[in-house]
This record gives sequence, C-alpha cells and structure tokens, in this order.
Amino acid sequence: MRHDRSWIDRFVERTARDVARRTSRRSFLTRLGVMLMGTSALPLLPVARAADDARMPAPDESRLTGDVADPKSCHYWRHCAIDGFLCACCGGSASSCPPGTEMSPVTWIGTCRNPGDGKDYIISYNDCCGASLCMRCDCQRTEGEKPVYFTSKNNDLLWCFGTKSRAVTCSVAVVLGVATKS
Amino acid sequence: MTAAWVLAVVVLGTGMAVAADVSGPALDYTLNCQGCHLADGAGTSGGVPQLAGSVARFLAVPGGREYLARVPGVAQAPLDDAATAGVLNWLLERFDHAHVPADFTPYTAAEIGRLRRAPLTDVETARRALVRRFDAAP
Repeated sequence: MRHDRSWIDRFVERTARDVARRTSRRSFLTRLGVMLMGTSALPLLPVARAADDARMPAPDESRLTGDVADPKSCHYWRHCAIDGFLCACCGGSASSCPPGTEMSPVTWIGTCRNPGDGKDYIISYNDCCGASLCMRCDCQRTEGEKPVYFTSKNNDLLWCFGTKSRAVTCSVAVVLGVATKS
Repeated sequence: MTAAWVLAVVVLGTGMAVAADVSGPALDYTLNCQGCHLADGAGTSGGVPQLAGSVARFLAVPGGREYLARVPGVAQAPLDDAATAGVLNWLLERFDHAHVPADFTPYTAAEIGRLRRAPLTDVETARRALVRRFDAAP
C-alpha cells in the first residue's frame, strides 16, 4: 500500500525522521525552556513596563554624559520638573516603581528637552504609592511648573490618586512621546 | 547559546519601540487633560469622570453642549479659546465617536470663549441632572 500514499505524507515522514535522528528531545526541551523563560522575563524589564498603557520607551541617551544621563541624579534630563524622591534610588528605576508599591494612574504631565537630541519629550511624573517615604535622592525642580491653584500642573501635591494606598514612596519620570509643534 | 537567545529577544523588543510624535489637539490633551482623564479617557473612579464611550452623550441632551464647555477642566484649561475648542472637538471624536450626533457642529473659539466665562459652580449637580436625561435622548 506504500505506493498509495501521497508525496506530502512521504515528505513529512522523511523530514520527521531526519529531525529525530539529528536532534535529541532533551535539547529541544532545553531550548523551549530557555525561550519561555526569556519571553516571560521581558515584562520584568523597565523598558517593557514603561511601554504599558501605550507608553513609550526611553529615547536615545547615548550622547549624554554625567549627571544629565544619570537617572539617580536630580540633574537627569527627564527630571526637569520632578518633586520627590527618585525611584531610581529607591529600588525602582526612572520609569518603574520599587517592588511593593503601585504606580498612580493619575499623574501630572510636562515636557523636558533632551540635550542629546534637542527634542522636547512629554514626561509623565507618576508617584509610586504603598510604602513609606523613600527619603533617598530628594529632588525638586520646577521647569514649567504652575502654582498650586493650577492643581494639574503643580508638583507639590501628592499624586497617589486611584491607588490602593495614599502613602507616597517616590516619583518616576516616564517618557510618553515627543512633543512637536504643528 | 542561551545568552544569545535572550539577547536577541530583548534587542527585538526594544528595537521596535520608537517614541511617538504628538502634536496639535492630541498634544494639548496629553499635557493638560491626560494626567487625570488618562490616555484612554478612562478617568478615575470616584474622582475623574470617564470620557471614553460617554462624553458625547451630553451633546444629545438640552444644555449638554454648554455643560461640556463649562466644566472645570475645559473652562480653566491653560489654553486659549481656539486651542480649547480644538481639544474638545478632538476628544469627542477620539473617545466617543459613536455618540457624536450626525448634525454636530464643532465648537468654535468664540463659543468656547463665551461659555468658559460662565463656569459651573456646582458641577456635580449639573452633571447628575444631565445624565438623568441620557436615556430619554434620541
């Protein structure tokens, strides 16, 4: 009956036997495991988390040096209007909260110029909420900040709204995009 | 081998993402409204009204058109009348296209200028009265 089988059956059988001869099942399992681990680790990276909610990852910072390139410095270019403890010094990063805290969805938003490429980036200053004050890397800068009667543009307020806890821990500066004049 | 695999996945993931350019009414929304109303117009329960899927319903009830231009976020936005009209027209389409009436005429700078000079003093009461009429609206 062998001659009755279609060419595709024979091709698949030959390929499968070839693969079985050349590779071991263990090596396949190893590679599959590595791939699953690798892809599941992606969301742990700050860049992937910052991309949530249509957020954009960090712009090119390769031309920056010194404090303006250091997320743990108050002079970091994204911190041009931040007021609080820098999450990068508190177990988080410039765009992700420390473990055990929750990023406030409600935030205030401004722009900072990246001296590396001269572009104005839209920065969202989110507070991380749920633990006591971090007390490290206190930073207050006021570029574009407005008085407290413009609540949506004031950074003296605590921005833990819409979170389980109202206790503010530290602040992040997430890049949302590039602001361009039309 | 394994390091190369992981590296390839990471490089692929980061390489695809490029910071988006934002301008015009979308930029005005991002800088002046999105902090509270959020990028997708979801708002914050108990504090900031949701825009998505509901904001244009006000256009179908008497007084609703005026209400939208007089709420604090609109009347007090640090934008001039033309830019405020622009961002209001933009967000109606962006967040609630389905409820924008077929005969809707976009807000003009002059209309915004007139309405925002009479801001609401009791927003919640005004809002409740309008929302009660939603179901009777066409």
